[in-house]
Amino acid sequence: MIGIVQERRPPARRKAVGVQSPDGRDSSKDTLKREFQLAGSETGAPRSVLARERARIARAMLADCRFCAHNCGVNRLAGENGLCHAGAETRFFSAQTEVADEQELVPAFNVALSGCDLRCDFCITGASSWNPRAGAGFDARAMAKQARAALAGGARTIQLLGGEPTVHLPAALEFVSWLPETARLVWKTNAHGSAQARELLDGMFDVWLADFKFGNDDCARRLAKVPDYVRIVRENLLWVGNGKVGVQASACPGNTLKRELQRVARPELIVRHLLMPGHVECCWHPVAEWLAAELPGVKVNLRFGFWPAWQAARHPELRGTVSTPENDRAAELARRLGLNLVP
Amino acid sequence: MKKHRFKKGSASPGNEQVSELLILPDGRILVHNLTQTFAELLHELNSGDEQIASRVLHHSLPLREPGRADLLVSPAARQRRPTKSKAQLRNHSNIS
Repeated sequence: MIGIVQERRPPARRKAVGVQSPDGRDSSKDTLKREFQLAGSETGAPRSVLARERARIARAMLADCRFCAHNCGVNRLAGENGLCHAGAETRFFSAQTEVADEQELVPAFNVALSGCDLRCDFCITGASSWNPRAGAGFDARAMAKQARAALAGGARTIQLLGGEPTVHLPAALEFVSWLPETARLVWKTNAHGSAQARELLDGMFDVWLADFKFGNDDCARRLAKVPDYVRIVRENLLWVGNGKVGVQASACPGNTLKRELQRVARPELIVRHLLMPGHVECCWHPVAEWLAAELPGVKVNLRFGFWPAWQAARHPELRGTVSTPENDRAAELARRLGLNLVP
Repeated sequence: MKKHRFKKGSASPGNEQVSELLILPDGRILVHNLTQTFAELLHELNSGDEQIASRVLHHSLPLREPGRADLLVSPAARQRRPTKSKAQLRNHSNIS
C-alpha cells in the first residue's frame, strides 16, 4: 500500500540549471523556455511535428518536474519521485477499444497510463493508478500502431487516460507524434495539471475530457488528499473552455493574432462528474452551479455509476452506491441549472 | 455485491481485453471498461436496457471481428430476436 501523508510538502527544490537531457542537449530552464516558445510558434506545422518536438522538451523538463499542480520540482530523470511516485519510465495497464465513454467519443481506443498525482480512495483503478510501476512498459510507437489498427477497425477516437496522463507528458506527446493527423484525440484528465502542462498540451488534443470530482476543498482533501483542488480544476477548465487564463498574448501584434486564433481553435471540453453517495449537495451542487455560471453550455456528463472500489470503504458514505433519490436530486439540479448533459 | 472480471484475448498488457462488472444486491449491474463484446453480451441478457442498447446498436458493425461476438453468444442466440423475457438479470445496468 502506498501511504501518502495528507498535504505532504514537496521535496526541496532542486537546481535545474544545466541539466542534461537524455539526448545530451542542454535542458536548462531558459533554454527549454526558448525552445518551447519556438516549438509553439510553428503555426501551421503538423501536429505530429509539434508533438515530437514538445515530447523532447517535456522529457528534459522531467529534470524539474512541474507537470501537475503539486509542483514538486523533483528530478525524475535522476530517479527522484514526487507525490505521483512516477519516474522517467512510462507504463500502461490497459489498452483496448471500449464503448462506455461519452457516446460521441465511442468506440474509443483507450490507453491507460499507470500512475496518478491524486490519491482518490474510491479510484476504480486504484491499484494501477496509484502505482506508476504497474502494467507494462509503454512504447509510444508500438502503441500508436495498435491505435491505428483500432481506428481502421472502427474506433472513432483515441483516448489517453490514466491514472493521470499528465504525469507522463513526454510519452503522451511522443504517442501523439506517431498518430495520424486526422485522428480525433481525447485527453482524459483529472484537470489537476499545471500551466506548464497546459502549454505543452496546447493544440495537441481535440477533446479534453476533464473530471470535476469535488465541489469543495474539504472533500478533496479528505477523499483524494489534494489541497487547493477547486481553484486548480476551475483554472484548467476555464483554460480549455474559453481561454480565460493561461493564454499569454505577446506584445507583438503577430503573436497576439496567433494566440487569438488559437483561442478559436480551443479543444472541445467535456466535463465529467462522478456522482458519489452522500456528496450531492457538497460536491455536485457547487460543481453544477459553477459550470452553469462560468462555462454555460459546456458539455457535462453526470456519471451515476459510482462503484465502491479500492479504498472507498475508508469512508462510511462511500461504502455503497448512489441511492435513487440522490440520483433524482442530482438530475433535477442539472435540469434546473440548464446544464448541457450529454450521454 | 460481487465483483467479476472478464478477460478476452487482445490488446492490454496481458494481451487481453478486460471488462469488470459489479452486480448489486438489487439486481443492478455496474460495468467498468465496457468492451463491444461485453456490451453485446449484456444486451443479449437484457435487451430492454437503454444504456446498453445505445452502446451496442450504434457501434456493433464496425468493430466486430469475424466470429468475435460468437465466442460469448451463440450464432443461434444472435439470430433470435431478444425479448425482455430472456433477461436473466433484471433492472438496468450502469456504465462507470
